[in-house]
Amino acid sequence: MGKALRPSGWLVLLYLLPGLAIYSFVVLVPILSAFRYSFFSWTGRPKKSYIGLDNYAEILRDEVFWHAFWNNVIMTAYGLIGQVGLAFVFALFLMSKAVRWKGFHRTISFFPSTMAPIIIAFLWTLIYNYNYGLFNEFLRIVGLERWVQSWLDLSGPIVLLVSIPLSWQNIGFYTLLMLAGLAAINKEVLEVAELDGATGFRKAWYVMIPLAKPTLIVSSLLCIANNMRGFEHIYAMTGGGPGNASSVMALYAYETSFLRFRYGYGSALAIMIMALTLLIILIGTALLQRRRGAEGVEH
Amino acid sequence: MEQAMDMAAAERGSANLARLIKKLLLNVIMMLFSASCIFPLIWIGYSSLKTQSEFSNSIISLPQKLHFSNYAEAIKLTNMLQLSWNSARVTAVSVLAIVLIAFATGYLIARVRFKGKRLMVVYYLFGLLVPIHALLVPVYLLFKESGLADQWYTLIIPYVAFNLSMPILLVASYITGIPKEIEEAAAIDGLGFSRTMFTIILPMAAPVLTTVAILQFFSCWNEFSFALVLLKDEALRTVPLGMSYFKSQHSTNYPQLMAGMVLSILPVAVVYFAFSSRIVAGVMAGAVKG
Repeated sequence: MGKALRPSGWLVLLYLLPGLAIYSFVVLVPILSAFRYSFFSWTGRPKKSYIGLDNYAEILRDEVFWHAFWNNVIMTAYGLIGQVGLAFVFALFLMSKAVRWKGFHRTISFFPSTMAPIIIAFLWTLIYNYNYGLFNEFLRIVGLERWVQSWLDLSGPIVLLVSIPLSWQNIGFYTLLMLAGLAAINKEVLEVAELDGATGFRKAWYVMIPLAKPTLIVSSLLCIANNMRGFEHIYAMTGGGPGNASSVMALYAYETSFLRFRYGYGSALAIMIMALTLLIILIGTALLQRRRGAEGVEH
Repeated sequence: MEQAMDMAAAERGSANLARLIKKLLLNVIMMLFSASCIFPLIWIGYSSLKTQSEFSNSIISLPQKLHFSNYAEAIKLTNMLQLSWNSARVTAVSVLAIVLIAFATGYLIARVRFKGKRLMVVYYLFGLLVPIHALLVPVYLLFKESGLADQWYTLIIPYVAFNLSMPILLVASYITGIPKEIEEAAAIDGLGFSRTMFTIILPMAAPVLTTVAILQFFSCWNEFSFALVLLKDEALRTVPLGMSYFKSQHSTNYPQLMAGMVLSILPVAVVYFAFSSRIVAGVMAGAVKG
């Protein structure tokens, strides 16, 4: 290796430092300080009082928090189906020789991913609007007038309703990930599969899924992480309502701190969210790897 | 014999028909999919040009006369010029910093052996999975206590930090693909490490850096949550934050709200459709390497 590739240790440090400093300041330091504050009762005034593990004990009993956590889990499940799953299907379609205008579909379907979540939330609030919403208008046109209602006030299906915009926004992104993953699959493998008489659905199930496994895992991981951190859509669409029906963990932590000024409890919530999210990601990875792995062995 | 041949031909015919139907069906599904992605945006686009009564009469019809005054009103009520300037300043500085840091870090990861490299990569990877909105409260407390909240540069700090992970990985994998002989030749010519890095490799990495810049432009321009908690000063509000206040105050005038939405999407849309093929290719390249 030439001299050009052997800089001094100090130079390396100098180049790495700005990134590490700013990243640590915004990611690591707040985690550590939140951990410290989580042992205090603190309303924002200079005086904090140490209360040990009381905040964590309260979280364990806090039904609103666990409801919010459950909503995150449900949204993640909807996300895995509606974002990763559908994206896989659309990517398979886009791989098919029969489909025209591939570039057009790719470009159009990725566009919502580039828009601000807050604007997506406004857009869907309008779509779900009682008097002026596209959704109710559509129902009126197809003669399902009796279904017309104020959608975001329904507490039953509210989590599904707020998950749809998320899918709508992100499906194009996951489609691109899948397309990239599928394109990397050797063409010959697919041709052999076709000679063996595997077509359409069978080809997708037995050939494509095992081969696309790495892409599916990466996409699922990103999807889990994104849904566990969801905040902006819910904040802008329902504010967690009706009641707490659509609240998610991050929104609950936000409200606890910024509306009720319980910074100690809010910090404990932050630590809890972090721990639960990483736990879910770990479980998800383990499950995905095992199941896909078993399939790979079978066929 | 002849009968058998007829049957074979008929079978082939029906197979062709089935294929044709399948082809048609696939195309129709994909067209519907794309239409559902774009129609809501077209809807706010033309509805923003209607009067309020026109919109209440029929939400779906096209405007009879193009009513641009909604835009004038939305610009005035949101103070859109101020919002755009704030967003542009924060975004420009953040993107520049992200590109520079990602280049330097990515280059060192790809080319130089140093202690703790693997640990550093994992540390940055963690940023992709960490639930950043759980950090809203602790980041707010940290910024308030250190006096970093409510300054013109406030948002640049989290925007750079949260958008480093992916660019670093993208740059590192791109530079790994550049042959090492280039730097060796540069060393023979007597160029030092930094000169080689910035005058030889930086221009060669321009494609990946452009992709990174565009994607992080979207991310910074669109960010809302940290702007919400870190800025109290009205004069510093960014476009998403300003739109949020605008909506809560003027939510009954839908065409006007839609005009505001169109305005806030516009910069992103222009950049996206100008560079769409590069962006799509960049995301796909990142996916394969990620």
